[in-house]
Amino acid sequence: MNRAKGFLRRAGRTLLLMLFVAAGTILLVRFAPGFFADEREMDAKYATSARNELQAAGAQTLSQIAVREVKGWAHGDFGESRQYEVPVTELIVPRIQVSAWLLLRGIFYGWLLALCTALPVSAVRRGAALWGIPFTLLLATPTAALATACILAETGGPVLVLALLIAAREFKFLLNALRGTWSAPHLLQGRAQGLPLSALIRVHILPGVAPQLYALATLSLVTALGALVPIEVIFNVPGLGQLAWSAVINRDLPVLVAVSLLMACAIGVAGMLSGQKQTLEAAA
Amino acid sequence: MRKRVAAGILLALIVASLLTVWTSKYGYAYQDREAAMAPATAQHWTGTDTLGRDRTVRVAAALLIGLTGAAAAAAITTAIAAAVGLLAAFSPAPVASVLMFVSDVFLSLPWLFLLMMARSLMPLTASPMQMALITFLVLAALGWPDCARAIYSGARELRSAEWMIQGRASGLRTGQLVRLHVVPHLRPLLLPQFLICVPAFIVAEANLGALGLGIGEPVPSWGAMLMELDNSALLAQSHWVYLPIVLLVLVLLLLETFTIEESHA
Repeated sequence: MNRAKGFLRRAGRTLLLMLFVAAGTILLVRFAPGFFADEREMDAKYATSARNELQAAGAQTLSQIAVREVKGWAHGDFGESRQYEVPVTELIVPRIQVSAWLLLRGIFYGWLLALCTALPVSAVRRGAALWGIPFTLLLATPTAALATACILAETGGPVLVLALLIAAREFKFLLNALRGTWSAPHLLQGRAQGLPLSALIRVHILPGVAPQLYALATLSLVTALGALVPIEVIFNVPGLGQLAWSAVINRDLPVLVAVSLLMACAIGVAGMLSGQKQTLEAAA
Repeated sequence: MRKRVAAGILLALIVASLLTVWTSKYGYAYQDREAAMAPATAQHWTGTDTLGRDRTVRVAAALLIGLTGAAAAAAITTAIAAAVGLLAAFSPAPVASVLMFVSDVFLSLPWLFLLMMARSLMPLTASPMQMALITFLVLAALGWPDCARAIYSGARELRSAEWMIQGRASGLRTGQLVRLHVVPHLRPLLLPQFLICVPAFIVAEANLGALGLGIGEPVPSWGAMLMELDNSALLAQSHWVYLPIVLLVLVLLLLETFTIEESHA
């Protein structure tokens, strides 16, 4: 019962966060310079109708815009893109798949790289700093520069850049989390009993750091979503990041609100699930 | 030891950049059209860019602008975070909940996306210097939530400390308690938060610039210089095109070394 209550509370909070994100986005874009401008105004044929439309749009209050948007979302309608003049849903749905696949592979390979390096490095007493140097170097390289370097070297692609970025971010956290576990009494006993290394890692080490890993997974998603924009723009990947960038450049409110909502939803749900998982672990 | 070495190298870079900008006969915007993409010579130590602008001066100016802007933005963001964190920690529970919820709203969007959105909605007709100012102000205005959360939890722990209870029992007001006891105790937390923000803001500016949303030309910036790397024809002509990225990574490494050592101190 308590668990269900906790879940509902977290879900309600996530929903409220999303609403605030949407309201903030509408507010920002509504007052942005150039929002009430339309390129059709330059064309004598369409100038009058464009001006009338803009005038009508300008007369709407913030609350009217917000109510209209929320009503649309309730019916699965995210409006029409100002730059592409097609329904936002049509633009977003195929791109979700592209971005999700990129995120999934990037996060998976990043974690694999970070975990495979942090596990042995956490066990050694000397030389850990030396192993950390490539990750520190990666951490000091902006995503855009890393992506450009990959293009120049004609090596790798968006997945590699995302994986390297995630690995660089998570390596230090994983190393710190794992370092303490090697000297834990139950692990020393396991080693004394002659348990093989794979069993030690599977049975003792990974479950021990699991709660921290769940929290880190949420952070990984936030990092990856942030990196999605420069990576997709530089590698010309037709995903959500590229769409968000072009919406920002062209002040395309419906697309911008929809992408913001999607991002807030992904982060909110990931945070909620990792929180729920941690609660369940604690209860067990 | 490492902290001192990092600080020393960083200081040397700043001094060298200042000297370069002040003593060079070329301004960062001066265009020598006769010498576009010139190789390294006695006049132009690291050659020129496509518009004939001296690369050494531009890189030095970008370093100074980037560091000064990021440090100023980090100071503002730390001040906002300290104000929000302290207000939340010393206010009734509903006020604290609202303030932390607001910071959660900011944190529920990826940092770069949030920056990109806010930055693109700024005036279209601003001058390049105003654009630089706006970019760093946007960074300062959006960077506080993480920091505020850390300060909030630090201040909450201090609130229940015994010496705070004694201070309250002695009749000190909340404002006096915060000024005399809390802020000095939070200094070890505020300094690392400030230091963490500086490289983060430099990276954010570079990423924004690479997306065409950073500081506008002709003001030199890391981001605009990264865009040069997109032109493979330029790369074949001169290896000095790589200078900004090498220097940027070096500066970030030094800042991170300094920050890590300072946080552990």
